[in-house]
Amino acid sequence: MKLHLTVNGAATALEAEPRTHLADLLRDQLLLTGTHIGCEHGVCGACTVELDGAPARSCLMHAGSCDGATVRTIEGLVDDPVMALLCEAFSAEHALQCGYCTPGMLMTARDIVLRLPEADEDRVREELAGNLCRCTGYRGIVRALLAVLASRRRPGSGDPDSPLSGCLA
Amino acid sequence: MKPAPFDYTRPRDWSAALAALAAGARPTAGGQSLGPMLNLRLAMPETIADLRHLPGFGVIDQQRDCVRIGAGTTHARIEDGAVPGQVGAILARIARNIAYRAVRNRGTLGGSLSHADPAADWVTVLPAFPGHAIALGPEGERRIPLGCFVTGVFAVALQETELLQAVELPMLPEGTRFGHWKFCRKPGEFSKASACVLALPGSAPRAVLAALDQRPLVIDDAAALLAAPEAEAARIVEGLRLADPWREALARVALRNAAQEAA
Amino acid sequence: MTVSGKGVGASLRRKEDRRFLQGRGRYVGDIRPAGVLEVAFLRSPVAHARLRGVQKPAQGLVFTAADLLEIGPIRANSALPGFRASDQPALARDKLRHVGEPIAACLAESRAAAEDLAAACLPDYEELPAVSDMLAALAPDAPLIHEHWSENAFLETKREDEVADLDAIAAAKVRRRLRTARQSMAPIEGRGVIAEWDPRLEQLIVTSSTQMPHVTKSGIAECLGLDEGQVRVISPDVGGGFGYKGILLAEELVCAALAIRLGRPVRWLEDRLEQLTANANCREHFYDVTAWADAEGRLLACEVEAVVDAGAYSAYPFSACLEAAQIGSIFPGPYTLPRFRFRTVSACTNKPPILPYRGVARTGVCFAMETTLDALARQLGIDAAAIRAINLVPPEAMPYRNLVGKVFDSGDYPEALRRAVAAIDVAALRARQAAGETVGLGLAVFCEQGAHGTSVYHGWGIPFVPGFEQAQARFTPDGVLELRVGLHSHGQGLETTLAQVAHEVLGVDPARVRLVHGDTALTPYSTGTWGSRAMVMAGGAVAEACRQLGERALTIGAALLQAPREACVLRDGAIVQGEAKVTLDEVARTWYRRPQNLPREVDKGGLEVTAGYRPDPDTGTHSYAAHAVVARVDRETGAVVLEQYVIVEDGGTLVNPMIVDGQVLGGTAQGIGTALYEEMPFDAQGQPLAGTLADYLLPGASEVPDITIEHMVTPSPWTRFGQKGIGESGAIGPPAAIVNAINDALARFGAEVTDLPATPARVLAALAKVGAA
Ligand SMILES: Cc1cc2nc3c(=O)[nH]c(=O)nc-3n(C[C@H](O)[C@H](O)[C@H](O)COP(=O)(O)OP(=O)(O)OC[C@H]3O[C@@H](n4cnc5c(N)ncnc54)[C@H](O)[C@@H]3O)c2cc1C
Ligand code: FES
Ligand code: FES
Repeated sequence: MKLHLTVNGAATALEAEPRTHLADLLRDQLLLTGTHIGCEHGVCGACTVELDGAPARSCLMHAGSCDGATVRTIEGLVDDPVMALLCEAFSAEHALQCGYCTPGMLMTARDIVLRLPEADEDRVREELAGNLCRCTGYRGIVRALLAVLASRRRPGSGDPDSPLSGCLA
Repeated sequence: MKPAPFDYTRPRDWSAALAALAAGARPTAGGQSLGPMLNLRLAMPETIADLRHLPGFGVIDQQRDCVRIGAGTTHARIEDGAVPGQVGAILARIARNIAYRAVRNRGTLGGSLSHADPAADWVTVLPAFPGHAIALGPEGERRIPLGCFVTGVFAVALQETELLQAVELPMLPEGTRFGHWKFCRKPGEFSKASACVLALPGSAPRAVLAALDQRPLVIDDAAALLAAPEAEAARIVEGLRLADPWREALARVALRNAAQEAA
Repeated sequence: MTVSGKGVGASLRRKEDRRFLQGRGRYVGDIRPAGVLEVAFLRSPVAHARLRGVQKPAQGLVFTAADLLEIGPIRANSALPGFRASDQPALARDKLRHVGEPIAACLAESRAAAEDLAAACLPDYEELPAVSDMLAALAPDAPLIHEHWSENAFLETKREDEVADLDAIAAAKVRRRLRTARQSMAPIEGRGVIAEWDPRLEQLIVTSSTQMPHVTKSGIAECLGLDEGQVRVISPDVGGGFGYKGILLAEELVCAALAIRLGRPVRWLEDRLEQLTANANCREHFYDVTAWADAEGRLLACEVEAVVDAGAYSAYPFSACLEAAQIGSIFPGPYTLPRFRFRTVSACTNKPPILPYRGVARTGVCFAMETTLDALARQLGIDAAAIRAINLVPPEAMPYRNLVGKVFDSGDYPEALRRAVAAIDVAALRARQAAGETVGLGLAVFCEQGAHGTSVYHGWGIPFVPGFEQAQARFTPDGVLELRVGLHSHGQGLETTLAQVAHEVLGVDPARVRLVHGDTALTPYSTGTWGSRAMVMAGGAVAEACRQLGERALTIGAALLQAPREACVLRDGAIVQGEAKVTLDEVARTWYRRPQNLPREVDKGGLEVTAGYRPDPDTGTHSYAAHAVVARVDRETGAVVLEQYVIVEDGGTLVNPMIVDGQVLGGTAQGIGTALYEEMPFDAQGQPLAGTLADYLLPGASEVPDITIEHMVTPSPWTRFGQKGIGESGAIGPPAAIVNAINDALARFGAEVTDLPATPARVLAALAKVGAA
């Protein structure tokens, strides 16, 4: 079937079997390999992307259902200010090792920061339940998220000169 | 883990959807239960009919004494408070503990109820409400009391030619009490025992005990349970003759805790 | 540490983070060569059967064993006396020995289409009674899995110290039967292989998600009858290993043979269903432990019967017996055990072949030893800390050789225990217990032999023996330092830590150090990343290569300074004499671009050095740790909550403390999985019962508490910087410490958990057994 997607801001026309899931479409056809596949049954979170403005499992969205959707992947968020803060904090807190869970983890982390600005440690841990990491033991991830949440709660944190992106510079 | 081939259709109105269904298509809403089954080839439909673009599918409509929740309403919208009133607050609390946010963003109330996983949250909670599932079939609309909607493990009262269109719940009067408890080993996991109790002033409290690998147990008059949660929960669970002592213990705790909260 | 704060000892941020954070890591599944054929395997649906044949679909590329006779069997022998070798066919020939064993390779343009083909194949087999339990496997009438064997055992080892007299003298004696569950290591990235044939170089290029590219290369060459030079293995970014990717895969051999045969690239990516059901392959131990102690709790002896479920075949390279045989050598742990009697068996069952998972046998051994110690303490009415303190090897005995010949290099084990206990408010805990709360304190102390080398491995006689680890250090013409190592980094952060080592020696800024790894064509031979060896071995090798490179640079630099060599030193990335200096950049430029300025006595090898390293003695470093856990048990549901988790750890000199903490935390999370969540049950027919991550539970962020780590630093006297292998440590202690905490909480009921994982169901069953549920 033919389908249309807007991926990272660009309108894209694709040809795919209806059974192909979004993660495979992004990876194999659009070469956006930052979206990873870890289980293909919705549990691990490695494939999490932003679909029509909210995080979703790309392994569970088959081509047909995606037609007309707007997708953002990790590659499309390189210039996003919240993502920049998160990347900086992930590196500082050693929140990644093999890096395989990382893109999905960052997609979820960004959603937590934007949706739950008041989240405390317990809430952060609970919200991370749908993203498995086998390497880090989560401490770095939780600390990185708490650091970003705290920095955004500080007065004046909205200003563009706030420290961004050590790792992205 | 890739699905067997299937065709995809996207009906734009309900009659087209019913026609697709009549032609053997498998409906899908959020795809959060069907998706894994497709990937694992546990489901191999020839055609999938995507309901998400049907008019009113995700619409929440507050009427005078009830709220009609479109089957396509996502768990996330319910979590975020899209359903008004105390009923909305109760549903929001339940929704928040379904799966993970990324799943809740797509998964729907109607999909969950139609799928009827014995451990699913709406399957536990909705039968306690004096409301209706609104089914739409070739003959028109049919109202099924929520307490009778789930008929077994992965089995519901829908005919093969019917779709679940909406769920209608009463606005809850002042003084309504609600209790809910479920056991999961980790957040987002399907529960291993869950129970809820809904007590509306002036009518018999209703209780549901679920997630026991069998049809949810609906207790139409749970007054005795509310009066003596510990003893009644033990008695009720004993009657189920569950094979696994751990699940039996959990069921007892679930029912008692839900009752204590609602008492 | 160097003044720059970037050398050994610095918590430098990782150089590799950037690409991963931007989604630019490159894992095997990210690579899709033009014209690639995707493979799906038809796998055995049953655990034990005679295979008569496969009916292939009318159309499509399907290959069975009969079509791929060029692939020799995988054979991981051991030289240990009595070892029974098993030939593992890459595709099943006449027998099926576990669910998920590959039967046929099905190739198509997409994985989905390849799966369609696999679904259309009809295997024809006659089912045989399956052996799904390791103890049942050893029964005299058990069906034989390898029919020419006399019993279902790969190997038996024993030691026969006398214990018969002890019942009369000992103040306490306990006996426990304990079990650990079969697990799946479950890295988030599965395995994956791409094979291509390069006709120009007449070389097979296998890109594989492996921890040990060079060993894989040797194995592929061996099984396909190729020269080693005809095989190149590339291990790109790897999404977690933990031992799961330390194996020569049947799938690698099949893809390789097919790429040669078809002249097209061939790719197989393992999915989670395959991983869980065809490859749940670690940790399953049974122990029958008897221990005797005197009235103070001093251990008099242990007698251990241990069985390890080794699965159906001996996996390459570590073999089917590594784990069981290791039990005999490490059971005494960090204690001064005077007598030890054991028998271990590697049982053969209809399950996937066992692989060494992070911690290898230590996790099971530590669980058995530490729970037994607590049982003794309870019987004697003494404190869990006290019974450990009295038995631990004291610091003044270091280096210490124990009764089975293990040599501990350095450390203060009792101090680690003391600090771990001090971090817990024991009085408050006891008060809560007295008030009726079901809470408990659990301790575990253990040491981890890491980076063991030739002298340890040659006795095993498995397909490889680690020798000198090699590293290459070279300057490129712009003065960038390039390091090449044959082991692989898949989360350990070696791109950063080896740069720190180089910086320590040469002063080159870590930002100007590039690590090349994971490609047999580009790096010196290595046995790979496993056994907590990378930082000791590659760290030592890189330091040595850099040292030699520095010597060569010194000669050139001195000539450029027109100063005698002896008057010059290498400092902060420059050759310095007094105020004058020449940077290493300048030295590199001279060698490559202005050779006319080179001195006469220059080393003609240039600015490129390959050096080997092996610690002496090479019996391994012993890092050690004490874990202390406070756990709360819900008596009604059996649920366990970890309230506090403290680790006191000694990894010797820490090259990058942040990364060491990361290793320990990640390992501990896995250990928590072993302790409380992870289990692959098999039914009596040998069918695996957990096909998804909704059934096989991995710990998430809410299941892992905020762990506290305290470091002690006792440098190893035997390694280059005093570093000790510590990569596996975290995964060893948690099951022991957590179950001890649970059992402490249950002690007043007289209940005890003996099987892992300590699920709510098992906790409740333990209470029910004593009538306390
Ligand atoms: C990792 C994971 C964890 C989960 N954990 C939980 C949990 O803890 N608790 C819980 O309750 N659920 C859980 N779920 C399930 C989730 O809530 C699903 O969203 C829900 O069960 C199905 O809703 P859906 O809209 O996605 O339906 P779909 O997957 O699209 O459909 C499910 C089934 O219902 C049928 N169907 C869908 N809509 C209709 C309709 N309107 N009329 C008739 N038939 C219809 C489909 O044909 C299909 O058979 C989990 C799912 C995942 C992937
Ligand atoms: S790959 Fe989609 S959730 Fe795991
Ligand atoms: S960093 Fe490896 S899985 Fe998270």
